[in-house]
Amino acid sequence: MTALMDFFLVFTQPQLFLLVGLGTFAGVYVGAIPGLSVTMAVSILISFTFSWDVYPAISLMIGIYMGGVYGGSRTAILLNIPGAPSAIATALDGYPMAQRGEAGTAIGVTTVMSFIGGFIGIGVLALAAPFVSDFALKFQPRDYMLLAILGILLVGSLSQGSLVKGIFAGALGIAIGAVGRDPLTFTERFTFDLNLLNGGISFIAVMIGMFGVSEALLQLHHVDKDAVRQKISRIVPSLATVKKHLPLSLQTSTIGVIIGALPGTGGDIAALMAYDHAKRVTKNPEVPFGEGAMEGLVAPETANNAAVGGAFIPMMTLGIPGDAVTAIMIGALFIHGLNPGPMLMIEKPDMFWFIVGCLVMANVFMLIFGLTGIKLFTKIVEMPRAVLIPLIMLLSIVGAFAVNNAVTDVYWMLGFGVFGYFMRHYGYPLGPVILGVILSRLLDDNWRRAIISEREELGRFFWGIVTSPLSLTLLVAVILIFVSQTPVWRWGKSKLFKES
Amino acid sequence: MKRILMGAVAAFALTTGMAVAEYPEKEIQGIIQWGAGGSTDTVMRSVTPHAEEILGGTVVMQNMTGAVGAIALNYVADAAADGYTVLMGAENPMLYKIMGLGDKDYSEFTPINILARGTPLLVANNDAPFNTYSEMIAYVKEHPGEVRFGSTGPGGLPSVVTAMVEAVEGDLDVIFVPYDGDGPALTGLQGGAIDVMPAVLGAAIEGVKAGNMKALGLVDVARNANLPDVEVVAEVNDGYNTYLPWGPFFGVFAKNGTPDEVVAKLTAAYAEAAQNADFVALMEGRGFTLMNISGDEAEAFLSKWQQGTAWLLQDAGMTKASPEEFGIARPGE
Amino acid sequence: MQIDPEHHDGTSDATPGGEPDKRRPGELLFAAFLTVASLYLVWDAWGIENSFGPNGLSSPRSIPLATTVVMVISGALVLLRTARLPLDRTETVSKDILPWTVIVFAGLLVAYGMALRPIGFLPVSAAFLIIGIKVLGRRSWVWTISIALAALVAIWLIFRIVFSVLMPAGIVPEAELVQFFRTLFSGGAE
Repeated sequence: MTALMDFFLVFTQPQLFLLVGLGTFAGVYVGAIPGLSVTMAVSILISFTFSWDVYPAISLMIGIYMGGVYGGSRTAILLNIPGAPSAIATALDGYPMAQRGEAGTAIGVTTVMSFIGGFIGIGVLALAAPFVSDFALKFQPRDYMLLAILGILLVGSLSQGSLVKGIFAGALGIAIGAVGRDPLTFTERFTFDLNLLNGGISFIAVMIGMFGVSEALLQLHHVDKDAVRQKISRIVPSLATVKKHLPLSLQTSTIGVIIGALPGTGGDIAALMAYDHAKRVTKNPEVPFGEGAMEGLVAPETANNAAVGGAFIPMMTLGIPGDAVTAIMIGALFIHGLNPGPMLMIEKPDMFWFIVGCLVMANVFMLIFGLTGIKLFTKIVEMPRAVLIPLIMLLSIVGAFAVNNAVTDVYWMLGFGVFGYFMRHYGYPLGPVILGVILSRLLDDNWRRAIISEREELGRFFWGIVTSPLSLTLLVAVILIFVSQTPVWRWGKSKLFKES
Repeated sequence: MKRILMGAVAAFALTTGMAVAEYPEKEIQGIIQWGAGGSTDTVMRSVTPHAEEILGGTVVMQNMTGAVGAIALNYVADAAADGYTVLMGAENPMLYKIMGLGDKDYSEFTPINILARGTPLLVANNDAPFNTYSEMIAYVKEHPGEVRFGSTGPGGLPSVVTAMVEAVEGDLDVIFVPYDGDGPALTGLQGGAIDVMPAVLGAAIEGVKAGNMKALGLVDVARNANLPDVEVVAEVNDGYNTYLPWGPFFGVFAKNGTPDEVVAKLTAAYAEAAQNADFVALMEGRGFTLMNISGDEAEAFLSKWQQGTAWLLQDAGMTKASPEEFGIARPGE
Repeated sequence: MQIDPEHHDGTSDATPGGEPDKRRPGELLFAAFLTVASLYLVWDAWGIENSFGPNGLSSPRSIPLATTVVMVISGALVLLRTARLPLDRTETVSKDILPWTVIVFAGLLVAYGMALRPIGFLPVSAAFLIIGIKVLGRRSWVWTISIALAALVAIWLIFRIVFSVLMPAGIVPEAELVQFFRTLFSGGAE
């Protein structure tokens, strides 16, 4: 009974209600601007809300978080520049849709799907948090490593065109992720004795350069061409459309919740894995993937918003952050005199239910703000390119600087922008590079942890994998996906079908 | 001519004098050495708003991560020594030189305030076949090469604590599994990826209270009010008294050469802020020991800390360069 | 949308142009560069040494070495495949790969990067926006400058004031300015 009251607290207090709304609204825009991240916004809010009571502070942060995860899709669809890493997969099919003048439809579907994904994530948080966090804790270093390998296999579905070029791009990404001092032994890797490489290359800077600057340079070819006129008559998708994609969205939301709940993986990896899943299970998309398939929007957007609820699961039950934003929220709770940790659920269950209430509220606000004001947003793409292109470049520069307050990140961003420009021209896919950078640490750290734990003996390492049900399942998944992508399988399959 | 020059000098002196008197006349950049949400970040973000009020200025706090904090340290060292760029850091820079991570440490900075010190604690997975520090030592000696210890890289708290344990108890044959911070390592501990983790009390206390992990022993000289039933290593083995008390610390630093008036103003502000009741309650609840020291006292603390830790690591063979090369004297010499 | 039939539309992510069975101008050179660079990276990865422990399977070298080897193999495959393709004679470097606007903007970006620290964010960005918009838009100076400055002020307000991102101030006494307005407003509030 008290749980219900705490849950409804945010709905009954106008001040909290407004703060969640304000946060969500701001979050959509923060998320949409590449370089302004939710992580940054929430950590600034810590100082800003320092003297506030804990409830209003939390409501504002949750609003920003929910809105921000969703907002990343906006610029991905409209400009082919993901506002946040979790929107990379959204650009693959969203941007081609905008090129056909269907930005309104794309944003509408994205919003409704984010809403559905968000709700599933919150539902799992409210009903099954302890079970999910117990499951998440079971992941050993070797399981994280297998998960990273599973992620790397996504290179196949992210490489439109040549697979070999995709593999090269993916490997390059992993190498970029390794630059700088290794976080486990502090050994310098790929630093070429340059001081400015010691801190590594921020992957947000790589992403902004490869997507933002290279896109702007590419647009220079078409300065005189008129911008695509956007039809924005039908924004809210029909019930039939939603129903049609419901099975897929349930599956991808599940991927989102689990990947989100695992400490060390978040919405970015979840969205990419969901995209891959959609490509696998959708037999006959109306439009091919990569050219504006609706399924290509449904999957990543449900997954990254479901990952929000997922990220709160280990935070609320164990005091372990599920991602960077929840890590800062733990700090915020601590500053406000609470002790975030496994005891929080027992000592202060009201906080848990209050957060669930705020998330529900933020999710509803996200739907409202997502479906309104689209006209204004689409005006951005209809802006004259002569203004838009320099503006994208300047925003990319400021955004890259903002990641770590370092001018060196600006240099890397510009370098990768020019490099990405050539890669696009010569048909090298960019998605795998970002995928590689995201997964680099996950793969490297956990492989080393796993093999050290087995005293560097490969035999013991494999014995460990085959004797653990979880690791074995992941290994089988890796093998199945790998085999299904190689020519051997296609050859065998065609032979089988001929015979039958 | 000479008179004009004198006048100019006087006017210049006057304006600079005024500028100092008015400090802060613009916002102060606080560079936090570690990422958002970490211990250093949380401590700094909870003490600084109080200091801002006393200073009557704004401190813009920015996280600058990378290379174990060396990026932030070099950034502040390269900025002007005017008190408008301050470093908010932890203990790591004191080991940069001997670990080959950089050529600067806190000797290039004036301590504004060393706010607090953490106490290390040995925690273990609930299924580990030992319940106290002494049982753990006995188990490790009986089962060489089996127990997995978490670590956070050379020079990190776990490496120092392990060096201390080995200096006192003799070499331990255990597997060290590296993590990139105590948060991920404690997560791994709860999932059974590692058996034992030396962590700072504040990071592990909630997990211990909830029964998600067990505390083996405090690496301190006296029991802690937060965990009164947990064994203290110095009770078990006298040898620890040479090295303890020891712990990671957090502090605010200004570059050497910052005008004395500015240092005085900043010091006064942080000294008062650190006494704020909210902040004190926060630190104690998290198991940190408040220090709130500055000036010569802080300098003495820093050099003692550096001598003890550097030589401990040197004797354990974990350094890249001898402390001697940098003029860090062996403690007691 | 207009699609130029002779020169491919350059807007989709993966393939901004080029036909799958032809080699674009400069493509071979790019593939060769990537392969050579990968070879160098293998050598560099081989030189990574763990100064605090063994150099076995768990060393910081293992994953970089593995990935750079993959880079060399895939890079060489791409190089071979590209070399076998016939050159696309309908395309030229100056028209399809590096038109003058791209070179101008790449130059502007490099100049921006070099001037950012010494001169500061505000003047450099203003110059960049004004030159960029003027070159592309070819509209009047008044239009160009007012659009550029309005955009810059909006960006500055969002990043500097709301998000406290302190871009290099350079020659502009930004912090003093901000403090001046702060005291002005707080003075007015009392």
